[in-house]
Amino acid sequence: MNTVFQIGLTVLMFGSLFSVLTLSLNLQYARGGMINFGTVAYFAAGAYAYAIVTQEPPHGLDQYLVGLDMPWWVGFIAAGIAAMAFAILTGWPTLRLRGEYLALTTFAFAEMLNSLLVNERGIGNGTVGLANVERPDANILGLSENIVYALAAFALMLATAYAFRRLLASPYGRAVDAIRDDEVAAQAIGKDIARLRFQVFVISSIPIGFAGALYAMITTLVNPDLFSAEVTFFVWIALVLGGERTLLGVVIGTMALVGFQEVIRAIPFESVRAAEIAASAEDIVTGILFIVILRWQPFSALARRRQAA
Amino acid sequence: MTRDLLVVDKVTKRFGGLKAVGGDAGLSFSVPEGTFLGLIGPNGAGKSTTFNLISGVLKPTSGAVILDGKDLSVARPSDIASYGLGRTFQTPRAFPSLTVLENVMVGADNEGETLLSVLRGGWRSRERALRAKAGEVLDRVGLTERINDVVANLSGGELRMLEVARQLVRDPRILLLDEPTAGVDPSLQAKLSRILVDLHAEGRTLVVVEHNLHFLLQIADSVVVLQNGELLSKGTPGEIKADEKVIAAYLGADHAA
Amino acid sequence: MTLLAQYALTGVVTGCFLILATIGFSLTRQVEGFLNIAHAEMLGVSAFITWGLNAGAGWPIIPSAVVAIVATALIGLFIGRVVYDPIRKLGPAVVLISSVGVAYVIAGLMHAIIGTGIRTLDIPLATTYKFFGLRITNYQMIVVGLAALTGISLALFLNRTKTGLAIRAMSANPELAASRGIDVRQTSRATWLLSSGLAGLAGVMLALIATLSTDIAFHQILQILAVAILAGLGSLYSVIVAGLIVGIAMDVSVFWIPAGYRPLIAFSVVIIALLVRPEGLSMKRRS
Repeated sequence: MNTVFQIGLTVLMFGSLFSVLTLSLNLQYARGGMINFGTVAYFAAGAYAYAIVTQEPPHGLDQYLVGLDMPWWVGFIAAGIAAMAFAILTGWPTLRLRGEYLALTTFAFAEMLNSLLVNERGIGNGTVGLANVERPDANILGLSENIVYALAAFALMLATAYAFRRLLASPYGRAVDAIRDDEVAAQAIGKDIARLRFQVFVISSIPIGFAGALYAMITTLVNPDLFSAEVTFFVWIALVLGGERTLLGVVIGTMALVGFQEVIRAIPFESVRAAEIAASAEDIVTGILFIVILRWQPFSALARRRQAA
Repeated sequence: MTRDLLVVDKVTKRFGGLKAVGGDAGLSFSVPEGTFLGLIGPNGAGKSTTFNLISGVLKPTSGAVILDGKDLSVARPSDIASYGLGRTFQTPRAFPSLTVLENVMVGADNEGETLLSVLRGGWRSRERALRAKAGEVLDRVGLTERINDVVANLSGGELRMLEVARQLVRDPRILLLDEPTAGVDPSLQAKLSRILVDLHAEGRTLVVVEHNLHFLLQIADSVVVLQNGELLSKGTPGEIKADEKVIAAYLGADHAA
Repeated sequence: MTLLAQYALTGVVTGCFLILATIGFSLTRQVEGFLNIAHAEMLGVSAFITWGLNAGAGWPIIPSAVVAIVATALIGLFIGRVVYDPIRKLGPAVVLISSVGVAYVIAGLMHAIIGTGIRTLDIPLATTYKFFGLRITNYQMIVVGLAALTGISLALFLNRTKTGLAIRAMSANPELAASRGIDVRQTSRATWLLSSGLAGLAGVMLALIATLSTDIAFHQILQILAVAILAGLGSLYSVIVAGLIVGIAMDVSVFWIPAGYRPLIAFSVVIIALLVRPEGLSMKRRS
């Protein structure tokens, strides 16, 4: 019974955390019409920013150059800013590119960030990463740390969902929908396409930065391996699974995927080989899910339009 | 002597080696404020291209388009629209994710569409006013019953009316209509004709491209005839109907006697 | 100076490999109309079939390679028919994302069957030759030679044979081609076979000159995308030029920046190209 509770808690914690990413992806893609294959970059920017800002200054054998030793909430804010900065930097020149090309440039930028983190040891110790990342004292209300962090992740997810929902229900959201539906017609009524797209792109990156900070707090470790393209594709698969029509669907899809992975990880494997095969099976199943779901339930954003009532 | 609201000044447009609009001298005509100008010509005359050049979708190879004294050469289509120019398209365009009412509401220039405004709130009261205004416009084009319907349920003629409504709610100074009667059944055409006459009476400037000469020549003030991207003739509808060059250009085509 | 020249030479070899790897990708992009991310995985499939037959079953290298290439061509055709054809009407974005799914499945299968770690082919060690103070191995020369041979054969095929001309027609304008009586299904089939076969060939080359690990395909995808985008929608020739540019840029850059950034050089070239001249090296814009 204890394992079920553990698994449940982990699903809640990481499911909520990654739901923030999926929600942002949903905003960018399903509503904004922009394909972003570089989601992990904002996550990494946030996590690393948090780690660097809260880390002690380097000493001894440390290879990293900067540690500001600030309190955790400063780090948290810095994470959001870092993600936003990365989005501004990489979004500004590329957002006018067509769908598939935008996908590729965002992907490339994410790979570039990863490469920078690996090769420039001054940033974060390269592949070794930064360990013992500072985290706030979570033993409040007598609850265990894990529970508190799970609740924090859940709260972040709710806050993000609420913020996006409010944005999309406003006239702003209406304009965003119009642009996604028909750019030419939107221009004919004076909508500044480039500006609105850019804003959506940048805004949706901020919660991802926060999620990165929270992730760093939970794992107390940041290194480039944690932030590979796999994360981006994981979130994409979650989006495909949950469908993009409702925010609830997005969250459930993410939770389900995290749950699926956790269950497989919980199975005790007798050999390294068996574990390898299980990991491969995970990939195969998620790939198949991807294909099957897209075929029978493609995004309304790209396939057919809003169905007649 | 009313001033010119829109001036097309020696405009040419080339696509690769092909000259789509403007002969050696370029295409030139002007639209005084408050006029109802008809733009006609046989197929391939460059009418839609001219519209695209005016509304900024295409940029002229040479020459300039001037709206209310402003040179539109470097302006984006959205900028041009915000200067007060509205246009509809040959195939009506709509926003399928939005209802009919929302399609019109989104047309209005809206301070509620900035991030700042979303943060501050207060857009709800403006929405009420906007909803009312949109409702009025939809009533004018006869789409009141369809207000909460989805775009997918609308017929071609209704879509066209929706497009007109979306532009009307913006209160444009000059309205460009690209083949408004195409695909519209005769009863709706009559309504469209009345709407255009009313708009004209209100003092709006209209430029309408049409194949249906019977429809257009009855209500326009003046007419410009294009052929192969160049100006063939211009004048009042009466003059154009009698103009031999125009008749020859339309040889065989259905035109008002 | 010689060092720079040596890098340039290796760059040519890399470029030739990239040409082989990317032609197929460009082909499906133009004829089928989408970016097939799983194309890179096909290189891995071919490389490992070759390895399996050669190092595993003890076959000599050439039969192993031939079987691998044919098998890859057939697998590619199968995937094209079963997975991509039904969803093509949903638009290139959906198919792009689906191809990511396909890549996952193939990668997963390879990991499951082969496990992780590095494998090597059972072939003689490379012999190095020296020309004008520059080194090149025999396997590298094979890559260059095969790239040249493939380029010429492909050019002949696309210009002289019925299927080849059909493929060219379809890549320029599918609707027009169909209305002129070209058998779309058959041409599509031919395209998949050709494209996957070329990926198979590139995979064998990869097995010859690089270290074989099951992640190998993923590392190639960035470069392949880079070359394809730089080449634009043009002909074979732009792929050749683009391949050489990217290959040489990548290897020469090692002179100044750490080797870890190599794949990113490829992509920087492309990002700049996309921003400055979106149609790439070709003259055409998609209508």
